[in-house]
Amino acid sequence: MEMSLYNLYKELKLQNMIFCYSGPIAQSSIEGVGCTLRKNLEAEEIDNAATLSVFSIFVEQVQNILNYSAEKLGGSGDSDDELRVGTIVIGREDNGDFYIYCGNRIKKADISNLARRLEEIKFLSRDELKSLYKERRRMESGSGSKGGGLGLIEMARKSGKPLEYSFVDIDEQFSFFSIKVVVGRK
Amino acid sequence: MENLKLDGTKSTPEINFDLESGILQIKGESFPENAAKFYTPVIGWIKEYLKNSTKEMVLEFEILYFNSSTSKIFMTLFDFLEKEVKKGKKIIVNWKCDKENETAIEFGEEFKEDMDLLPFNIVFL
Repeated sequence: MEMSLYNLYKELKLQNMIFCYSGPIAQSSIEGVGCTLRKNLEAEEIDNAATLSVFSIFVEQVQNILNYSAEKLGGSGDSDDELRVGTIVIGREDNGDFYIYCGNRIKKADISNLARRLEEIKFLSRDELKSLYKERRRMESGSGSKGGGLGLIEMARKSGKPLEYSFVDIDEQFSFFSIKVVVGRK
Repeated sequence: MENLKLDGTKSTPEINFDLESGILQIKGESFPENAAKFYTPVIGWIKEYLKNSTKEMVLEFEILYFNSSTSKIFMTLFDFLEKEVKKGKKIIVNWKCDKENETAIEFGEEFKEDMDLLPFNIVFL
C-alpha cells in the first residue's frame, strides 16, 4: 500500500497534534525533543507552570519507555546504550488541554503488576498522591529498575486528572500498553 | 582531596565544590536516564569530604527542573546529610529559586517538610 505522507500530515493537523514519534528512542531523543517542545509552548505563550508540567510528564513518559519497553534494539549489553521502541504523541484536546500519550510493548507477565500500580493511584486525591509520593521516594528501588518507581505518581500529580490507560493484546507473549496524561491549560 | 567540578549537560546540572569555601553548588536541570548512576559518585565524594572535614558545609541547589528519579536520589542525599547533622556536623542546604517559579519552590518545600534537623532554607534569587 502506497502511503500518502500528505494524508498523514493532514490527519495529524486535524487531530491537533504538536508532535508525533514512533520508533527507537534514546535519552538524547528526550533532550532534543524536550527542548523543541518547550520552545513550542513558549511560542504559544503557555504559562510557565503548564509548560513545565507538560515537559515533566513528557520526560517521565519517555523515560518509562526507555526503562520498560519490551521492544529493544541493539545495545552491547550495557543497558545505557540500548534503544527501546515506543510511540509518543503530544497534542491538544478540543478544549485546549494538552495531552501526552505514550505506548510500548510489554510482556503479558508484567501487566498485572503495572495495572495494580495504576489502579492504586487512580482515585487518590492531591494530598494522598503527595504522601504516597513522599513515602515511595524514601523506599529502596527494586533491583534492575533504573527509575525510582515514582514516575506514575509524579505524572498523576502534575496532571491533576486520572491517568487513562489500556492494554491491547498483540500475541501470546506481548501486549501494547498505552497511557494518556492530560494537563489543563491554565 | 581535590575540588569537584562537573560541567553541565542538557540533562545534568553543573556541579562545583570548592574545598576552601566549603560550598557545593548544583546548578541547572536534572533528568538523566539513570539518576542513581550519575549522582552516586557525587554522593560518594560528599561522604569522603565529610569524613575528614570539621568546617561548615553549604550545599546550594539551583535546579529549575528535575525528574522523579533525581528526586529520589536527592532524598537519599538529604537523609544522609540529616544523619551527619545528628552526629554533629555543620551542614546547611540552600534551595535557591526564582520567586516566580512556583514549581521549583514547591519542589524545595517538599524536601524541607521531610527534614527534622538539617537546616533547609528556601532562598529567593
